[in-house]
Amino acid sequence: MLKYTIKRILYSVLILFFVMFIIYLLMYSLPGGYIQTRAQELASKPNSTKSYQEWLDFLNAQYGMDKGVVQGYFTWLGSAASGNLGDSWVWTLPVTEVFHNTVWYSFILGAVSFVFEIIIAIPLGIKAAKNQYGFTDYFASVFSMICISMPTFFLATLLKYVFAIKLEWFEISGMKSRDYINLSEFGKFLDVAAHFVLPAITLIIISIGGLMRYTRTNMLEVLNSDYIRTARAKGVPEKKVINYHAFRNTLVPLVTTLGGSLPGLFSGALITETLFAIRGIGHASYQSMLQADIPFIMFYLAFLSILTLLGNLISDLLYAVVDPRVRLS
Amino acid sequence: MSKYLYDALLKKKRESSGAEQNNNGEVALDDISRVKVLSPARKVFKRFMRNRLAVVGAIILICMFAFAFLGPLFYPYEQDQHFYKYDTQTINYSQAKRIVNYTGYKVDDGIKVDSEVETMMNSNVKGMIADGVESKFVLGADGAYTIDKIADSIYSLSKADSKLICSAGVHSVKLGVYSRGTKTFSPAPGEDIPEGFEDSLKNAKMTGSEGTVVIGGVEYTYKRGAQKTDLDIFHRVEGILYHSGEKGGDFEAVLTDSVENEKDFEFGGKTYSLVQNGDVFDVYELGSAKVAMVYTLYALNKVDLEKEFPDEVRVKALLAAGKGGEFKAEGKTYYLEKDEDDLIIKDSGKNVIADMSLISVRRYSGQDTMEYGLKRTVIKKIEEMDSTDTREGKFVYAIPRQDTETGQVVYDEDGKLVMDDSDLYINRSDTGVYNITCDQIIFLIDTYAPVSGTHILGTDGDGYDVFARVMYGGRISLLVGFVVVFLEIILGVIMGGLAGYYGKWVDMIIMRLVDIFYCIPSLPILIILGVLMDYQRLDPIPRLMVMMATLGILGWAGVARMVRGQILSLREQEFMVAAEATGIKVSTRIFKHLIPNVMPQLIVIATMGMGGVILTESTLSFLGLGVKHPLATWGTMINSVSDQTSIAKYPYIWIPVGLLICITVVAFNFVGDGLRDAYDPRSKK
Repeated sequence: MLKYTIKRILYSVLILFFVMFIIYLLMYSLPGGYIQTRAQELASKPNSTKSYQEWLDFLNAQYGMDKGVVQGYFTWLGSAASGNLGDSWVWTLPVTEVFHNTVWYSFILGAVSFVFEIIIAIPLGIKAAKNQYGFTDYFASVFSMICISMPTFFLATLLKYVFAIKLEWFEISGMKSRDYINLSEFGKFLDVAAHFVLPAITLIIISIGGLMRYTRTNMLEVLNSDYIRTARAKGVPEKKVINYHAFRNTLVPLVTTLGGSLPGLFSGALITETLFAIRGIGHASYQSMLQADIPFIMFYLAFLSILTLLGNLISDLLYAVVDPRVRLS
Repeated sequence: MSKYLYDALLKKKRESSGAEQNNNGEVALDDISRVKVLSPARKVFKRFMRNRLAVVGAIILICMFAFAFLGPLFYPYEQDQHFYKYDTQTINYSQAKRIVNYTGYKVDDGIKVDSEVETMMNSNVKGMIADGVESKFVLGADGAYTIDKIADSIYSLSKADSKLICSAGVHSVKLGVYSRGTKTFSPAPGEDIPEGFEDSLKNAKMTGSEGTVVIGGVEYTYKRGAQKTDLDIFHRVEGILYHSGEKGGDFEAVLTDSVENEKDFEFGGKTYSLVQNGDVFDVYELGSAKVAMVYTLYALNKVDLEKEFPDEVRVKALLAAGKGGEFKAEGKTYYLEKDEDDLIIKDSGKNVIADMSLISVRRYSGQDTMEYGLKRTVIKKIEEMDSTDTREGKFVYAIPRQDTETGQVVYDEDGKLVMDDSDLYINRSDTGVYNITCDQIIFLIDTYAPVSGTHILGTDGDGYDVFARVMYGGRISLLVGFVVVFLEIILGVIMGGLAGYYGKWVDMIIMRLVDIFYCIPSLPILIILGVLMDYQRLDPIPRLMVMMATLGILGWAGVARMVRGQILSLREQEFMVAAEATGIKVSTRIFKHLIPNVMPQLIVIATMGMGGVILTESTLSFLGLGVKHPLATWGTMINSVSDQTSIAKYPYIWIPVGLLICITVVAFNFVGDGLRDAYDPRSKK
């Protein structure tokens, strides 16, 4: 087990190395890229102390762009590994500080939606599987398919239109009301919470469909297996068959996927956060991308890749932990 | 073996169907005709048709394709066709204001007027009015000028031959230059220097760039000279200093008197003017003056707009304003009459050719193209409003009629403009500007037209028909889906096929590549690429290509993994062993024997992938980083009404489009699901 884990981690590091190389390559080879634009911008500022060429050289040196791809990549990698991720150009703060300021909003948003997603999707999926081809099943299938197919931006706009513009229950975007300062501590909490409702609903609806279908498929698989037939043949009450024998076995794949998606809670919801102006990491990264903020983009992409790899790793390890039949080698 | 048996059975079936005709439908229980034999494709089709959701999805897709690809053929509008409308709008017809600044006109081109004097003219004239003076002496860089009043609001600027006679008051006279470096004093020519002055200077304490020093009870001032170490020494003298020949005691007596009153004076038939210059008054003797320019508040209103109005006539008229009556210009005689505030210019035949008013009326664009009669009416109305102190007024005047259909001015059979009496409104703003407005029919782009018969979903912010754009947008969205999925499949099949077939290090490398591509965050990459293409100002079409290529390259990993898995298991099966044994080429083995066996999975993955690609494309377009104007896609269309006010105001644009995206993706997913179940029934039961 330990050996396997170490092997997987080393392998993930290797993958990460190449992924970051590809991303670096992309940044490096972009014609007339960000750096020129940025240098021009910096040089044209009234208090600029350097000329365009000096800025260009400075920035190129900072990101190892003046060296050739491979060497430059190692320069960047070296400084990143030693914790020096540079300063964000857009936020004019160290990248790590921007990360700290934003990631927790994303995490709260992600975690709340994650909990609701589980609470709603799993029982619905099980119910659909129990009545295969029944009304609930059809309803659940269609509903989950719509959820999967809904474009995030359309859903967000629709929710804004209905709940913010027509019903005026929530504010259309942002994280704080205008009179936030005057509220009591608890009032402040409620105010921010109210602003998180619509984004959370968006995220829940978007993600609910996939989990529901996954639960349903797995539950069906379990329900069609021999030991369930045996249990039924032995006269075990249907309730016990479903809740005790079938459900517990359905949990195996569910736990592994859900565990695998845990790191994803930190990755932020780029579109949702942007549309609702939630200052999470997705919003920050989108702004950075629009304004060619290389240090933050490189960091964010690296962060996303790490989260993906971590998710895979957790999922694989959980599989072995949850299901005693699996032996890792 | 089984094929052989099957042939025998078919033979038997044919025989028995012949027998059926003979025996009037009596069929044995074990007759083959009771077993329906379906081809694999028909079997899949039948299973597919049993899935209601899949059928609904398929129908939706067919409708969508017909709508997007055939619809535009029958729909009258193009995606980038602007629509216009004619609308009665209250427009700012013209603007009027009382003129407050004097404008100068050259009388004599031969006289050059100092620009400083020209700039100061307005304030000088206003100063004269405030002081109640009719004439004023001004000094320019190149000589003296006089301003004289000709009539109310008309002033002439003349250049006078002036001579500086003397200065009265306390003067500083330069005694000489003292060099601090060499400690020597060099006196200025013609100055009497007291004895021992130089020695006293040496002992005197002189610091800084200027100051005073007392030598022998007399106060001297010093100032830094041309060089750093040099000091100019000045002696202060009170009295009259002549610049040219002395004038005598009588003159000085008058001068002293005038200086006290600070007034110009006359002496010996000549006029002398005082100009204050520091502590001194410079006295100028004025010679004959020549009018160089005339300044006025009056604006000229021509009766005949087409005809050129010579500047000379205007200038002469202004000069004649004081006297009134007749004047000559360009060899012709003109008459000038005063009518209340206005001046009327008539030609030799006593016909009014122009007038001059203190209120200028211009078209809103600033052009002087307004009809004389209308101008007069406006001026009269404004005077009337001012006298009663009202801010709003209304009058009726005939202005060209406009066609209610086209908004163009209408001509009658003789080619003349058709005039209609229209209501014109005058409104005085706080800044003292009179705005004249009237209702006119104008031609404009029909933006955000509501839903109507001509525009089923209205028009958007650019005046395009939304319904037409929905169809063309569907075309691009579906096309993008197809191209990208095709690319993904090609790349995936090649890579997956190679990995699965060759195994070993090829498999190893390709699968690591797949892992890497799985890990690359695709949406951020696409956004960055979109921003970059924005920087590069790429045209919409190449941009679309780049986007499709990127989507394809980022998406092949899943296909490759699936193909590899399938091929790994197929490779071990007997038919592949047979294919190898019969010596079939490797490429044939892969593409003819392996890939067709992966086809069902490929079709399913392609159908499902299509929905995903459409979602990604519309998201990118929504962010403004995908397909660009004027090409329409569903994402761009929602993007164009995505700000807060537009969301509330134009739901009839974005809701149908959003639903279309959703429905299309749902349909692709249903069909994909249905196909998977149909190909592989075990997955469900």
